[in-house]
Amino acid sequence: MSEPRSVLIDDAAVSRRGFLRVTGAGVAGGSLLAMLDARQAPAQVRGTSLRILQWSHFIPAYDAWFDKFAKEWGDKNGVKVRVDHIPHLELPARMAAEFAAGAGHDIIHNGSSILTRLYHKNLVDITDIYDQIGRKSGGWIPAAKSLVEVDGRYYGIPMFYILLPMLWRKDLFDQAGLKPPDTWELARVAARTLKPKGHPTGIQFSQCADANLNWRSLLFSFGGAEADPSGENILVDSKEMREALRFAKALFDEGMTAEVFSWDDASDNRYLASGVASWIHDAISAYRTTEDTNPPVFKNTFIGMEPAGPGGKRVSVAAANVYMIWKFSKNQQAAKEFLVHVMDNDREGMVQSRGYNMPYLNANYAKPMPVIGTDPKMQILQDFPKIVAFYGYPGPFTTPIQEVVNLFVLPDTFTKVARGEPIEDAVKWCVGEYRRIFARHKRA
Amino acid sequence: MVRRRVPEDLRQAQARMTHVSLHGGPDPAARAAVVSVPGRLATRAWWRSHSAQRLAFGYTLLAPAALYVVLLVGGPFIFSLYLALTDASVADPVATFVGLENFRAAVEAEVFWIALQNSIVFLVVAAIFKGLLGTTLAFLLLQNFRGKKIVRGLVVIPFTLPIAISVLSWKWMYDSQFSVINWALSGVGLIGSYGSPDWPIWLGQPYLALAACIAVNVWRTFPFSAIVLLAGYTSVPPDVLDAARVDGCTFFQRFRHVVAPMIFPILMIGFLFDTVFTLSDLSVVYLLTQGGPGNATKILPVLAYQIGIQAGALGRGAAIALFLVPLLLPAIFLVLRNLKRRE
Amino acid sequence: MAPPRTRGQKEVRRHLLIYAGLTPFIVIAVFPIYWMLVTAFKQEPDLYRMDLFPLWFHLPPTLKNFQILFYQTNYGAWIVNTMSISAWVAAITLLTAVPAGYALARTRLPGAENIGIGIFVTYLVPAIILFLPLSRVVADLGLQDTWWALVVVYPTFTIPFCTWLMMGFFKTVPMEIEEAARVDGCGQLAALLRVVLPISLPGILTSVIFAFTLSMQDFLYGLAFVAPGDQKPVPVGVPTELIRGDVYYWGSLMGAALLVGLPVAVLYNFFLDRFIQGITGGIGK
Repeated sequence: MSEPRSVLIDDAAVSRRGFLRVTGAGVAGGSLLAMLDARQAPAQVRGTSLRILQWSHFIPAYDAWFDKFAKEWGDKNGVKVRVDHIPHLELPARMAAEFAAGAGHDIIHNGSSILTRLYHKNLVDITDIYDQIGRKSGGWIPAAKSLVEVDGRYYGIPMFYILLPMLWRKDLFDQAGLKPPDTWELARVAARTLKPKGHPTGIQFSQCADANLNWRSLLFSFGGAEADPSGENILVDSKEMREALRFAKALFDEGMTAEVFSWDDASDNRYLASGVASWIHDAISAYRTTEDTNPPVFKNTFIGMEPAGPGGKRVSVAAANVYMIWKFSKNQQAAKEFLVHVMDNDREGMVQSRGYNMPYLNANYAKPMPVIGTDPKMQILQDFPKIVAFYGYPGPFTTPIQEVVNLFVLPDTFTKVARGEPIEDAVKWCVGEYRRIFARHKRA
Repeated sequence: MVRRRVPEDLRQAQARMTHVSLHGGPDPAARAAVVSVPGRLATRAWWRSHSAQRLAFGYTLLAPAALYVVLLVGGPFIFSLYLALTDASVADPVATFVGLENFRAAVEAEVFWIALQNSIVFLVVAAIFKGLLGTTLAFLLLQNFRGKKIVRGLVVIPFTLPIAISVLSWKWMYDSQFSVINWALSGVGLIGSYGSPDWPIWLGQPYLALAACIAVNVWRTFPFSAIVLLAGYTSVPPDVLDAARVDGCTFFQRFRHVVAPMIFPILMIGFLFDTVFTLSDLSVVYLLTQGGPGNATKILPVLAYQIGIQAGALGRGAAIALFLVPLLLPAIFLVLRNLKRRE
Repeated sequence: MAPPRTRGQKEVRRHLLIYAGLTPFIVIAVFPIYWMLVTAFKQEPDLYRMDLFPLWFHLPPTLKNFQILFYQTNYGAWIVNTMSISAWVAAITLLTAVPAGYALARTRLPGAENIGIGIFVTYLVPAIILFLPLSRVVADLGLQDTWWALVVVYPTFTIPFCTWLMMGFFKTVPMEIEEAARVDGCGQLAALLRVVLPISLPGILTSVIFAFTLSMQDFLYGLAFVAPGDQKPVPVGVPTELIRGDVYYWGSLMGAALLVGLPVAVLYNFFLDRFIQGITGGIGK
């Protein structure tokens, strides 16, 4: 326990300004791109330390692999690497603390709550490696840009995203003669049929991350939108929004029980694992949990495509994961080097996450994709990237959208309707909240 | 630490003193037993001429604690005032002064009033239950019976478990599917079985969710209330009680006229501490419901956290967090001054 | 007219009444603990069965959750950290709160009343705001991401309450004792050390145990200031490594809580008498 402490005190003892001067000189030397190409850490980086903060991946083996992976890179390049983990929901708090302290980790990760645009003035401009990585791997998927771009410069590297597909019980569907839930209407029919048999469905009508994701998938698949491509205009006051709300109410009344009001991110996992759920709309963490705790149910659980809305549209809202570098980092070069290295080994990361991590780079979509390409039940996931979207769709993931997400405005709207509030009232409230939040950010 | 045995005669004198001081102060005869007359005169002179020394001594002793609190609490408190009065956000290192704008923005949001209401309801209901349960438990623990120590040890456990983890286990106990509470109630026949409309979804129905959070808070702290009450009751001198008993008072009369006034100060202090802790407690609601369902359990600290930290609007978050301070501060001041005067 | 009851019968009846009265309280307080205990030893599939009696085992009890706790997480380090932090915080609290309590109780400082009230006021400032500037302080001290950061920060909420507690204890020590000591030739400091402190030992022990307990309750500061896995205290480490994304390792979570909480509860009970004495004196007679 004393060893890490001595490292930190050494760091604090070295003058920050001195270090910035050295690294600055290195960058100005203009050899950075060449170095990145050659994948050789420059001499200045040797003997330094790199500290990374990220979440606790739901697969412990991934964390074990990542920590080892980082250490190996560090050993090869003479950099002392350290990876710390905290719960992903607490990353914003930790970021605020590090910002206030003006010190902390070099690389920091955001999951779901992407605060890159919010903090961009305090993050390193990494446009160079963003372009570099994109060039090497066939370009970034279209949705990647808005997560990290501010005024044409890039302040983060989108590392992976997490899909929320349909997870459905084929045995129950077959028994009742139901078609696979390829559209939301089919899903609703299935829930309606199977609920009396003791197998309702459930989607969180509560204030949690999955609710933010699931209800947006529904809304966008119904043709709705949050903001226009410029990100300035709010588009939630629409016919499609009302249709989606109407559908959600019907789905709740016919196919769910009141417990969904108390659900958090893990409740639908448990619902599936207990054998009760006929289908859920959730990340494959639920799939994996069921594999471990209820093998018979797992055998009959299949992964399905994002259901289509009435117009045939499919949009799957995913949870983004972005890595950034703090401006106060004393080792920006090593940080950049490391991020490039991680993205170079993106496929390995996908394998280690057992198919959970979905890539942002086009090259990594070449079939068969690792893990999900070879597992027959998971192959459908390979088709998701064409339909994936993030918060704020079709507009970018802006700061006001981030606040809307953090205050759970959309899940609250759906909850109100499910509880019996008239749809018009709920929409009015929703639009009011959006307007208020957008206005506040414009003022600021 | 140097261990010195207190001299026996001093110890006996102390025993007599304690008895005496509870009955209106030392009488000269008792005092004389401890302090000789010339010593007494010398003592008075000693005090007077060394009052400056006394003050210096006192302030020196107070200094470390005062410094700690002023630097690490006072300083940050000023900083949080600064945050509340600027448009500070986690994004911008430079914030501009905006006066009471944050407070205005806070009160114009509907959710703020909901949070305020929830906080007050939470406080009042929890206090009532803690008072009731605490009083009953204290009364029971006053009796002499076998196994008293074991019982005391058992009821204290909720207070000693780390809050983050004990709340998580309650979360599991409230689970909509696997709630062991529901299982027990259902087994006894008080509610229906799983799936029936009778099956309470503790964290899913607005009033139930608030009740559930309050229940966890009460569970954690009612042992503390009981102990405070116990402390108060045991401080009532037995002869006063005996005198009242001899005078023919019933238990309840004794309680109302004799005990209650004497333990009132202790109750008030305990109540004040509890109020402050409850109003600023984030953990229970944050871990159980995050403020849901639909803002039914959103209390001020949770709202402040979501706006200030998770959404990055530090100024507004600080304004919400500090909102109650100007209201509570004078109230606490008045109550405590009143208590001191009662002494 | 019924024959008068014997004394023995009366005692038994009294005991039964008391036990009957106590049962609901014990059930309420202890039932969750029992539940945690059983869950800690259950196999995971056993948890997700709704149709079976949940208060006992259906698959044989297992030590697997504890194995996960000790071998796959840093639990061992967390316990050591928690104990170390609490010990240091208790020490710092003692060194600051005991003198402060004495000063406020006995040295008749002007404004002592207001300072005493000021003690309460510090608890009004919520931690969710405090942790930001404190983060700065911690970083400037070079203690960020070590458990020493918590040693520096925790006294901010233990010192006020313990000062108040010690104030109470010292007020129950009659003035005459000190005066007698001073007549015998002791200076103020010597009087404090040789006479007052030994008598107040129960109060001091109470403050220690209270500071210890409070240190184990915090979550926010630990989260904000300590990220490395082996530096975390238990309340922060457990949610970090035993709740991954949306997967909860219930058995290990429960085990973690119990291993840390139960010993402290035993200690707490031991000092309960002293605690009661201190609260009494806090109002002063």
